[in-house]
Amino acid sequence: MKKMILIADDSPTIRKFVSFSLKMQGYEVVAASDGMEAVEKLPQDNFELIITDLNMPNMDGFELIRVIRENPNYKETPIIILSSLSESEDIERGMGLGANSYLVKPFDPKRIQYEVAKYLN
Amino acid sequence: MKQPTNFSEVFEKITDLKELFQFGEKIIPIFQSLIEFMKDIVPLMENINKSIAESTNKMPSATNQINNVTSATEMATTEILDRVDSISTALMNIDNDLTEILKRRAGKKDILEKLKAEIDFNDEQLELLGQLYDQDEIDTFLNSIKEKLSLLNDESYQITLALQVQDITSQQLAAVNHLIESVNDKLASLVDDIHNAQLDEKDVDKIEVPDSATFDPNARYDKDTSRQNDADDIFNNQQKDESKDIASQDEIDKLFSGE
Repeated sequence: MKKMILIADDSPTIRKFVSFSLKMQGYEVVAASDGMEAVEKLPQDNFELIITDLNMPNMDGFELIRVIRENPNYKETPIIILSSLSESEDIERGMGLGANSYLVKPFDPKRIQYEVAKYLN
Repeated sequence: MKQPTNFSEVFEKITDLKELFQFGEKIIPIFQSLIEFMKDIVPLMENINKSIAESTNKMPSATNQINNVTSATEMATTEILDRVDSISTALMNIDNDLTEILKRRAGKKDILEKLKAEIDFNDEQLELLGQLYDQDEIDTFLNSIKEKLSLLNDESYQITLALQVQDITSQQLAAVNHLIESVNDKLASLVDDIHNAQLDEKDVDKIEVPDSATFDPNARYDKDTSRQNDADDIFNNQQKDESKDIASQDEIDKLFSGE
């Protein structure tokens, strides 16, 4: 059975791009267009890793990470932040909330494949 | 009782009046110039006001056009990604097929070698068998196709990498829209103040900001890895700091053994 990954990003291009990159590595990717939709999708599958943008409508990435970490089923699930924000305070805030990796956009697809493999393989 | 007339006071007043008239003589031309200036400046101000009002009216259509550009590029990029995805999947399938063919050919080569060992072929028969199954040449050819496929796969990968520019530009355009919206608001209130009249709302399109208009105004598309390196440094340093607080098993063992 393929390992399930959830990606939350308001950009359809990035959602497609991440899905494309990870599908090639044999993962199944479920996409959400904002934090709220991601939260709704959490109980629907058993996601083994979550990738999130920070700037999103309805619920931003920081809030999403906080909600994920409060969920007992996803307390330990690896979270990768994927954002064009690259200020140290954003990175530190993301890490403080419980993110495991931080990738700055635009990113090398090989890097995201490496990060995912680091946690899932 | 009537006060005696103080002539010195009368003279003082007359002098004051004289000075006032003299000052008036000087100031009147200035007032006249000021009035002339106002006559000139008022139409100019009205022109400026009209221009601002016109520009303000045009701003919503500018933002709408920017939104349209963002939607169009988003749609096109998604379509390209879909196509690249299909191409990559097809390439992957061809590669898998080639791997399977090579595997089966290797199996046949084993059978051929076994046959050669079991049956005592003469030289002519062996040569015919060799011609019938020219393993090395075809394998080299198939492996060369596999290499070309891998090259094509890398190229399609690079296309997807470059397509990230759409996400970055859409964020930059959203930031521009946000700026236009702010300028539009300021200008609208300025026109309102100057002319003491509302903009004709019938002629003004509302600036429509899409719900999903979240953006990073500093987003930029470049291949410079310094921002990623900085993020990695912050993450690594933080993890090192955290691991300082967590004692390793060796440290715990040393503590309990009294070393």
